[in-house]
Amino acid sequence: MTTVMDRPAASAGHTASRKPLIERLNIVTALVLGAVSSVVVWQLALKLLPQDADTAFFFNREDKIMLLALIAWFVGFMTGIGALIGPFRWLMGKDLNHDENMFLAGKEQGVKRYFRYTTDHKVVGIQYLVITIIIFLVGGILAMLIRTNLGHAQGGWIEPQTYNAIVGWHGIIMIVATIIMVTGPFGNFIMPIMIGARDMAFPRLNALSFWLIVAAVPPVFISFFTGGITTGWSAYNPLASQSALGMNGYIAFICIFAISTMVAGANITTTVVKMRAKGMTWNRTPIFIYGVVASVALALPAFPVFFLSQIMSGLDRAFATSFYNVAGGGSGWLYENLFWIMGHPEVYVILIPSVAALMEMAPVFTRRPLFSFNLAIMGIAGISGLSVLVWAHHMYISGWAPLLNAPFMLTTELISIPTGMLFLVLIGTLWRGRLWMTMPLMSIFALLWNFMIGGITGIYLSDVPADAFLHGSMYVTAHFHYTLMGAGLTGALASLVYWFPKMTGRMFDKTLSWVSFWLVQIGFNVAFMGMFMVGLAGQPRRVESYAEIFNKGNLVTTIGAYTIMAGMLVLLHGVISSWRSGVKAPMNPWQAKTLEWTVANPVPLENFETLPVITSDPYGYGKAQS
Amino acid sequence: MTNLQTPQTTKWWKKSDVKKTFLLWLILTPIIGYVGTTVQLRSIGAPASEVMASVKTLMGVFTWAASPVAALVAALALTSLSGKRHYGDNPPAEADHQISNSPRVASTWVVVSTLLCLFALITGLVVLQKDNESILDATAMNVNVTGQQWVWNFDYVESNGVRSADLYLPVDKPVVFHVTSVDVKHSFWIVQMGIKMDANPGYVTETAVTPNKIGVFDIRCAELCGLLHAYMQTKVHVLSQADYDAWLTAKSTIEGAA
Repeated sequence: MTTVMDRPAASAGHTASRKPLIERLNIVTALVLGAVSSVVVWQLALKLLPQDADTAFFFNREDKIMLLALIAWFVGFMTGIGALIGPFRWLMGKDLNHDENMFLAGKEQGVKRYFRYTTDHKVVGIQYLVITIIIFLVGGILAMLIRTNLGHAQGGWIEPQTYNAIVGWHGIIMIVATIIMVTGPFGNFIMPIMIGARDMAFPRLNALSFWLIVAAVPPVFISFFTGGITTGWSAYNPLASQSALGMNGYIAFICIFAISTMVAGANITTTVVKMRAKGMTWNRTPIFIYGVVASVALALPAFPVFFLSQIMSGLDRAFATSFYNVAGGGSGWLYENLFWIMGHPEVYVILIPSVAALMEMAPVFTRRPLFSFNLAIMGIAGISGLSVLVWAHHMYISGWAPLLNAPFMLTTELISIPTGMLFLVLIGTLWRGRLWMTMPLMSIFALLWNFMIGGITGIYLSDVPADAFLHGSMYVTAHFHYTLMGAGLTGALASLVYWFPKMTGRMFDKTLSWVSFWLVQIGFNVAFMGMFMVGLAGQPRRVESYAEIFNKGNLVTTIGAYTIMAGMLVLLHGVISSWRSGVKAPMNPWQAKTLEWTVANPVPLENFETLPVITSDPYGYGKAQS
Repeated sequence: MTNLQTPQTTKWWKKSDVKKTFLLWLILTPIIGYVGTTVQLRSIGAPASEVMASVKTLMGVFTWAASPVAALVAALALTSLSGKRHYGDNPPAEADHQISNSPRVASTWVVVSTLLCLFALITGLVVLQKDNESILDATAMNVNVTGQQWVWNFDYVESNGVRSADLYLPVDKPVVFHVTSVDVKHSFWIVQMGIKMDANPGYVTETAVTPNKIGVFDIRCAELCGLLHAYMQTKVHVLSQADYDAWLTAKSTIEGAA
């Protein structure tokens, strides 16, 4: 730890005559320092670490070396980006002065501030947006590789090893992308303005949470070239401890990402609890804020467990501990429990903010108040509360504690009640509204459709006897794509179009938004209906090749997938072209009543000149009845 | 149920949009129920055990139970969508009302969804109980199932050490599977019989079924188990008792000779 702390100080020494250190650090220094330190540690470890004895049961020298190099990368990168400047100053008994804080806030730095440890929540929001798009792009390409392989009659176009690695890689990076897709860009950019704050409660933690994600990405890329994550995104042990070196990349990725999520969760929760504008009581707080808080607050208990499960996995690999190894007294069921204690709340971490964002848009595009605000909050709270009690429905047929199947079936099916509340809120808001036909409005209908299918298929899966047939089949894959993509991503894309004017100062091209909407939604339903069929007919998940009877269904899915890809490319084109040369957006293009639309474009550095005072909820639409 | 979706005004059920919703609901419920069950049950194919038959029944029942709800949401959405629409870059006029809540609608909705949820739960528990009891059947034959990367092996407990890579079972006789693995986690799935149980290294887990149809059915591994997971599949041959006995005798003679 000493060496780490020394670095910024040491380099500060000989550069003091020129620009101060804080102004010299950016993504380039971070990448260089990260790469250099990982190479140095890698080489040192290669030289110094003793060989495994020939008689050793486990050969884990390479695992140790790789994990050490990845840790060095992480420490080097975070040092290089400047994450340690604040703590280091603090250690010296000082803090950053005003000018330095203003520098960190990105004052008058133009585009450069997006490549620095910038604390302004609007910069962090844009950074999140861009990295989310990049991760989706990579994950999407991987999805297309999977579908191309399976579209080929009986599969088998890609080598099994490569295919398994692609499936694992697609799974984990899409999970990460969907976790950050709403709370990252919109939770950071929009949320503080929406509650009438000048910034987040802990701006430096905000920057930290973003740059941790950037630091987490290279390990998962490296893993692809060191044997890959061939275990699926769930990385079950003992398969994971048996897997190639790439698994270490997964472990490092998850650990760093989990820290990022915890940091962001603490930050966002504090911001919302402590920094809402004067008069913004809980009854006047927009529903999107509830969604964001519920999401990050759920992540707070969930992700430490994920972190821990991967630390134990890493120890099993590198030091032959036996947390998950039966021969050494461990159990694979332990891993499954830890994983799903994170894994089930995690799907609601993804879903809730998306649905909440659509609930925020519903009154705007129907020009009437949100229907039953209280029920919406009860729904969100109910889902959040129940979601930590359902994890073992992923383990009905694992053989672990069959006597618990019935109680877990109960908690799981109870979730349909609060979920139904969210449906009623959306449908009640649409009812007798004056529909402004825009892509965000149609996304509400799309969500109702997709989430209905995802929800009903979820009832079959929650039922133990039916799950004994459906578990581990393509049916499950189709089900969770319906919820995470059909519902979650639909909400995120609507959010993108809805908040694009505030974030970029330009309107999202209307035609492109429509074209991409229909391509994605139609392609999506074709693709995953086909997947339901092959699942019901008995095709297991994560297979690289399959029996002839599944040919037709897989071809349908692949055609649908290519349609989704076309829609996503149109959307990407829309983002780029509208951002560069779209129509300049007025301050409040949708005539909405939440606070983010009361600030100018581009949003000034500290959002509000005078902080607003709130006197009503933001849903005062509709004509007063005579 | 539908009628309660509208605000409390006089003769609310006579409003045209309420009537339209109700009509749509009446039409959509059987369509969704029929299409949902038919498409799903056709995809599943013919069951080869009572367990699978009850899975199909369950899915059919759930689909029919869910179809009024799905139809209601669809009917409300379609009615809303066919109402006042506005195209253009500027917002439409405000809606004609300011209704932001309806306690009666909300409470009805919650009560109905709770009842449906309880119905699903109880139906599931009844079938689960039946499935669980079959494991305790004392007259059942026993087969030890061992998964290993990437094959299945079957040991017939009541024989003299017969082991096979394809599974052979007599028809109409209960069988209990004792499932385990020698390396990583696998999942033992007899597709047409609707049973699945994970094979965990170091533990033995149990599941049971009574095949009720003579024929050849699929066994697939349902848990990603490494490189050749996709190819970890075999067949189950369900024979008449006489054929099964003949197979077992022949198999034990061969193994005895070897």
